[in-house]
Amino acid sequence: MLRMNNLSKVYRTHMIETHALRGFEIHVKEGEFVTVTGPSGSGKTTFLNIAGLLEEFTGGDYLLDGVNVKGMDDNARSRLRNEKLGFIFQGFNLIPDLSLFDNVDVPLRYRGFNAAERKERIEDALGQVGLASRMKHYPAELSGGQQQRVAIARALAGSPKLLLADEPTGNLDTQMARSVMELLEEINARGTTILMVTHDPELAVRAQRNVHIIDGQVSDLVRKTPSLFDANAAHHAAAAAS
Amino acid sequence: MFKYYFMLGVRSLRRNPALTALMVLTLAVGVAASVSTLTILQVMSGNPIPHKSDRLLVPLLDNGSLKGYVPGAKPDDIQMTYRDAANLLASKQGPRRTVVYGIEGGIEPERADLPVVEVSGLAVSSDYFAMFETPFLYGGAWSEKEDGNKAGVIVLSRLQSEKMYGKANPVGKHVRLHSNDFQIVGVLDTWNPIPRYTHLLNGNGGSFNGEDGIFIPFSTAIRIEFGQSGSTTCNDHVTPGYQGFLDSECTWLQFWFESKSASDRVAIQNYLNAYAGEQRKLGRFPRNSENKLYNVTEWLDYLGVVRSDSKLSVWLSFGFLLLCLVNTVGLLLAKFSVRASEVGVRRALGASRAEIFKQFLIETAVVGLAGGLLGLPLSFLGMRIIADQSANLSVVPGMDWMMLGITFLLSVSASILAGLLPTWRACQVTPALQLKSQ
Repeated sequence: MLRMNNLSKVYRTHMIETHALRGFEIHVKEGEFVTVTGPSGSGKTTFLNIAGLLEEFTGGDYLLDGVNVKGMDDNARSRLRNEKLGFIFQGFNLIPDLSLFDNVDVPLRYRGFNAAERKERIEDALGQVGLASRMKHYPAELSGGQQQRVAIARALAGSPKLLLADEPTGNLDTQMARSVMELLEEINARGTTILMVTHDPELAVRAQRNVHIIDGQVSDLVRKTPSLFDANAAHHAAAAAS
Repeated sequence: MFKYYFMLGVRSLRRNPALTALMVLTLAVGVAASVSTLTILQVMSGNPIPHKSDRLLVPLLDNGSLKGYVPGAKPDDIQMTYRDAANLLASKQGPRRTVVYGIEGGIEPERADLPVVEVSGLAVSSDYFAMFETPFLYGGAWSEKEDGNKAGVIVLSRLQSEKMYGKANPVGKHVRLHSNDFQIVGVLDTWNPIPRYTHLLNGNGGSFNGEDGIFIPFSTAIRIEFGQSGSTTCNDHVTPGYQGFLDSECTWLQFWFESKSASDRVAIQNYLNAYAGEQRKLGRFPRNSENKLYNVTEWLDYLGVVRSDSKLSVWLSFGFLLLCLVNTVGLLLAKFSVRASEVGVRRALGASRAEIFKQFLIETAVVGLAGGLLGLPLSFLGMRIIADQSANLSVVPGMDWMMLGITFLLSVSASILAGLLPTWRACQVTPALQLKSQ
C-alpha cells in the first residue's frame, strides 16, 4: 500500500540544513493498522505529511498503492490524494461555516461525483459514524468526539485506500478517545489501511504494528502478537494477491 | 464546480459581515463614480446618428480678410455667408442639402382668443427632415417646390403642437409668424438628438438642452427677412438694408451636405475647392485657406462639444476607482488570511492550487457582483448630482442597458483584479503547516 525506500527530507534555509528524515524505509501492507510513535521532533509529522502528499521529499522513492509519486505535479498529487487518501487530524479541521453534510461533501466535490452519488456517500459515511441524523448541524454544535467522527466520515466518504491519522485522539478525553479508536478499528476491520501517529502508548500497542521513529529514521518495528489486525492484514494481503 | 464555488462565495459574504460590507461599499462607490461620469461622457460624446454620421457633412469656407491673419490659423467663424449658402444649396452636390439658421419670434394661433406664444426654431431647407431622419407624428415635410415658391408653410415640434392644440392634429391649420401667414404641414414626433448636432451654434438651450419648436423654409425666412437668433460675424463694411446684409461677407448660416458614400465626399470636397477657386477669382477668400469638410463626429470634435473637463472627470473617477481597488486588495488580504486553515483542509482533501485559485477568485467576483448591485443606485445618484451641477446636462438621460452591463462588468472585473494578489497568496498556503497549527 505504502512503500518508502531510502527516503530523505531536508529543510534548508540560507544558514541551516535540517534533516527531518534520512534513509527512511517503511512498507505498509494493504489492510494493516500501523501506529507511528516517537519523541517530538523525531520526524513523525514530516513522515505523515509526505505520506499524505502534502509535502515533497528530497530524495529516495515513495510508492503509494503502486504509484511512484516522485516528480508528480500539483494537479496529479492532488488527484491522487483525493482518490487514495483520507485524513484525520488532531484538531478535527472541519470548516466551521459548512454543515456536517457540506463538510463531508468537500472531498467528493473534488472527485467529481454527481449530486446523487455524493448524497448517497455522505449519508452512508455519516451513518457509519452514527451522525446521520445531524447532517444539517454545524461543527460548533457538536462535542469534540462528535466533530472527530465527522472528520472520520469526511475521510471515509471517498472510500480511501489509506487513512492517515495525526493524533486523532489528542484533543479528546479518555472516553471519547476510546470511542474514536474503536471506530478506527472497525474501519480497519472493513479493509481500510490505517497509518496513525500517536503519543499515546496505550493506543500504539492496540495497532497491529508500531513504527518508532527517532531522528528521522525508523528505529525499530514492533510487531505485536497475532491479533484481529493480523487476521485482517492477512485477509487483505491474500485478497490483493489474488 | 463554478456553481459550488459561487455558492461558497455567497456564503462567504456572511462570514464577516462588517468586512464584507466595507469591501462591497468601497467597490460600489468606486464603480458608481466611474460609471456615472462615464455615462455622462458617453451621452455627451455619443454619435447622434451613427448609421449615417459619416455621410452628413458640414463645409467650412474661410472668407476672412488678410488683416491680422496668420497663415494656418482657423477661420474667424464657423458659419458661412448667405451668398455661399445659396450657391452651395443650388450646387446639386450630394443627394440632399440644407441651410440651417436659428429663428425666434411670437407665433399667433388662428383663434384670436389664444395667446401669442414665443417660440424658437430653425429656418431650413426641405431636405433637412430627410437628412436628419426626423420622425413625423402628423403630416410631413414641405416640398422642394414649396422651397422654390418661398411658401408660407411650417412644421411644429410635438411639444409646440401640444402647447397650442393639445392632442389634436393641427395639420392644415394656419398660424401667424413674423406678421406672415403659415400653414402647418407637419408635426414632428418627439425628437431630441443629443448633442443637438444639426444646429449646435444656437442661442436656444445649448448643445444638450432645449428644443426647436418650429421649422420654416429657409427661402421663406429670407423672403420675410426673418432675423437670426444666433451669432453673426461681420469683418467688412455692410451696406445698410437686408439685401446689403445678404450680399455682405457676414457669416451667420450653417450648411449641411448629405453624401451618397465616402467617395461622394471626395466629389463634394473637389467641388468646394473649385467653388472657392472661382470665388477667389472674383476677389473673395483672400486667405486661400484649406476648404474643410467635416462629418458629424468630426464636426462635434471640431466644436469641442465635449469639454475637456468632462474627460478629466472620467480620468479622475477612474483614479478614484483605483484607490478603491487598492483598499479592496487590503481588505481581501485580511479576509483571506484568516482562511488559511480552510485552504489547508481543502488542499488535504484533494483541492489543487488551481482549484483553490478558482474558488477564491469566484468568491471575489461575488463581492464584485454585490458591489455592482449597490453601485447601480449610487451611479444614478452620482449622475443626478452631476446633472444638478450643470443645466447643460439636465437632459442627460438615465442609464441604458449598456451602461447597466458596464456597471456590473466593471465591478466584477475590478473585484477580480483586486482579488488576484490575495487569491494568489491563498494558493501559496502550505497545507501541512496549517493542518498542524489547528
